[in-house]
Amino acid sequence: MNNRLVILAVTILLCSCRHGGSSTSASGTDASSSAARFELQEKHGYTILTVRDPWQNSRGTELVWYLLPHDMVIPDGIAEEQVIRVPVRRMICMSTTHLAMMRALDATDLLVGISGPDLVFDSLILDAVSRGQIVDIGYEGNLNNELIVTLKPDILMAYGVASPSSGNTGKLSAMGVKVLYNADYLEEHPLARYEWIRLFGVLTGREAMADSLFREVSAAYRELAENVRKNVQERPDVLLGAPWEDVWYVSPVNSYTGRLIEDAGGHYLYSDLTEAHSVPFSVEAVFERATVADIWLNPGTSESLSDIAATDHRMVRLPVYTQGGVWNNRKRMTQKGGNDYWESAVVRPDLLLKDIVSIIHPELLPEHRQYYYIRLQ
Amino acid sequence: MKGMSSRLTLAMTGIIILVIILFIADLLIGSTHIDASEVIRSLFGHGTPGGEIIVTQFRLPKALTAIIAGAAMSVSGLLMQTLFRNPLAGPDVLGVSSGAGLGVALTLLTLSPLFTLSAGSALQGWGLILAAWAGAGAVMMIIMAVSVRMRDIMTVLIVGLLLASAISAVVSLLQYFSNESMLRTYVIWTMGNLGNISYPQIRALAMATAAGLVIAFLMVKPLNAMLMGETFSRTVGVKMSSTRIILLVAASILAGSVTAFCGPLAFIGVAVPHIGRLVFGTTDHRTLMPGVALCGSVVLLLSDIISALPGGGHIIPVNTVTSLIGIPVVLWIILGKTGMGRRF
Repeated sequence: MNNRLVILAVTILLCSCRHGGSSTSASGTDASSSAARFELQEKHGYTILTVRDPWQNSRGTELVWYLLPHDMVIPDGIAEEQVIRVPVRRMICMSTTHLAMMRALDATDLLVGISGPDLVFDSLILDAVSRGQIVDIGYEGNLNNELIVTLKPDILMAYGVASPSSGNTGKLSAMGVKVLYNADYLEEHPLARYEWIRLFGVLTGREAMADSLFREVSAAYRELAENVRKNVQERPDVLLGAPWEDVWYVSPVNSYTGRLIEDAGGHYLYSDLTEAHSVPFSVEAVFERATVADIWLNPGTSESLSDIAATDHRMVRLPVYTQGGVWNNRKRMTQKGGNDYWESAVVRPDLLLKDIVSIIHPELLPEHRQYYYIRLQ
Repeated sequence: MKGMSSRLTLAMTGIIILVIILFIADLLIGSTHIDASEVIRSLFGHGTPGGEIIVTQFRLPKALTAIIAGAAMSVSGLLMQTLFRNPLAGPDVLGVSSGAGLGVALTLLTLSPLFTLSAGSALQGWGLILAAWAGAGAVMMIIMAVSVRMRDIMTVLIVGLLLASAISAVVSLLQYFSNESMLRTYVIWTMGNLGNISYPQIRALAMATAAGLVIAFLMVKPLNAMLMGETFSRTVGVKMSSTRIILLVAASILAGSVTAFCGPLAFIGVAVPHIGRLVFGTTDHRTLMPGVALCGSVVLLLSDIISALPGGGHIIPVNTVTSLIGIPVVLWIILGKTGMGRRF
C-alpha cells in the first residue's frame, strides 16, 4: 500500500461528505450558515487569522496567523513564522475550491503553482498552466517539494485530510514555506464554505470585493431558500450518492449536499443521519430506503443510466431509475476530468441551489436551465 | 480403518448440513430486517416487491457467491500447499491474484481514460472481470513457462512471489499516474466484494469453478503421492512436470476466476485447507479436497453473515472478516500448535 492509497481510502470517507464538527443546527440558513472554521480579527493595522480544526477529527486545534502589511514592523510577541505579509504576491493553491475563489476575486495572476491541473476546469487557469506561468506541484502525499521551494511562494494554501505531520506539508513548513490550512471543505453549509472568500480577500488585498461578493451571493441564496420554504408544501424524497460494490457511503444531513437538498425543498432520505462524517451502509439497506426516492442526485461518476446499471445492476430496479429522476453534477467537465461543480459552484452557491430547486421543484423555477446538473438518460 | 471412515462420513455429513444451515441463515440475516416468512415467500415469488428484490437480488446472489468462491479459493490453496509442500502457500503466492489486479488496474487506470470519462463505470461488470481473468491467465502462463524449465518447485514459488512484487510495483506506478475517480474504483475493487454480482456472472463463476474443481479432483492420486515427496512420486509413476502444470492450471482457474468476480479475497486460500485437515483429520486428498471445498463455503458464508451483524444497515467489509478468521489460523500454524507444518 502506498501513501496515496491510504490517503485515498480516507478521501473515500470524506469525498461525498463535506461536513463540520462543532456546529449543529437544524436545517435552515441562518445560524449554521456562518463559517465555523476560521475567524478574522482586525488589530491595529493588521489582521489575526485563526483557523480551527482544519482537518478531519481534529478537536481544539487552532492555527493562528498574523496577516501584516509588507511595510509593517512585526509587533512584539509575534513570531516571524506566524506572519504572512499581505497582499501576497506569489501563491500556491492545492484545491480547486481555492482556485475558484482566486478566480472570483480576479486574482489568478498571483498563482504560481497548483495541485493536479488535470482536475481544473477554469480555462483561464489552464491557459496559464499551458503557458508555464502556473506549474503543477504534484498531489498531496507526492508533492514536489524542491519545485515548491524554488517557486518561492508567499503562502501555500493546503487542505488537510489528516494532521500536517502525516503528510509532507510538515516538511515544507520546516523548509520555510508558509503552509496555510484552508478548511473550507469541512464547512457544513454552502454559504459557510463560500465565506472563506473573505480570507482570500484579505490575503490578496481585495477585501472589499470579497465582502461585497459574499453579501450579494448570500442574499441571493437566502432569498431563494426562503422562497422555497414559503411555497413548498410537499418535499420530494431525495437519494444521494452511489454504491461502491457492497458499500454505500451515506452523507449525513448536516453535510454540504444534505443542506442544499433541504434548502431546495427536498426531503433527504437520510435526514435522520447527523454524524460528523459519511457513514458506510450496506447497499441492501440504502436500496430499501431508496425505493421511495423521487429524485436521485450525484450518483458517483455516472453520466448515463447505463453507467449506473454497469456500476450496480440492482439499481435499475429502483423506481427513481426507471422514472428518469436521476441527475448528476457533471454538465461542466473537461476532457481530463476537471469538474466545475467542485470549482465555480463553491463561489456560486446561489446558482447551485437554483439548479437543485429546479430539479426538485421545477414549478418554482420554470425558466431555469440547469448550469451544473444533467439529467441522466 | 472402519472407525476412521465412519468418522469421516460423520464429519462430511455434518459439514454439508452446516453449509445448508449457514446458507439459509445468510438469506435470513441481512443488514436490513426482513421477517423469515417474508424471505421464504420472496424466494418463491410471493413476497412484497421491495422484499423480493432484496432477497432475490441482494441476499441470494451473495450467498451463492459465498458458497462457490469459498470452495474455489480453498481448493486452490490446498493445491498450492501440496504442490509447494508449504503450509503457508496460497493462491496469492503464484501472483495470480496480483495478475488479476494488474488486469483491473490496466483497464481502469490506463485504458478507460482513453475513452470517455464515464468509461470507468461502464467498464465495471464484465469488462473488469474479463480484464482480471486475462491478467490472472497471463501470470499463469509465465509461471507455467518457468515451471517447465525449472526442476526445483521452490524456484517456481520464488518466481511467483517475485512476479507478485513486480506486478504490485507496476500497479503502484499506474496508480501514481491516474486520476482520483479511477483510483477510487480500483481501491474499492481491492477491498473484495460478494454482493454486486449478477446471475449471469454467478453462472460464469460457477462454470469456471466447476472446471477447476473437476481438474483438481482428477489429480487426487498424484497429489497424495506428492505428499511423500517428489522422488517417491516419480517412483510410483507420477509425471512430475505435467502434474505440476495441470495443478497450476487448476489453481489458477479457481483463484483467478474468484478474484475476477469478487476481488482479492484475503486468507481463505491459506487458512481453510488447515481447517479442513483439522476437521477431517486426514491428508488424503480424496477426502480432504471435497472437505476443504465445503469448509471454504462454510467460512465464507459465516464471514458474510458476520459482516451483516452490526445491524442498522451497516456492514463490515467481508475481507476484514475473512482476515480476522484467517490470521489466527495462520498464526496457529506458524506457532506449530497443531503440528500441521510437520505434514509437509
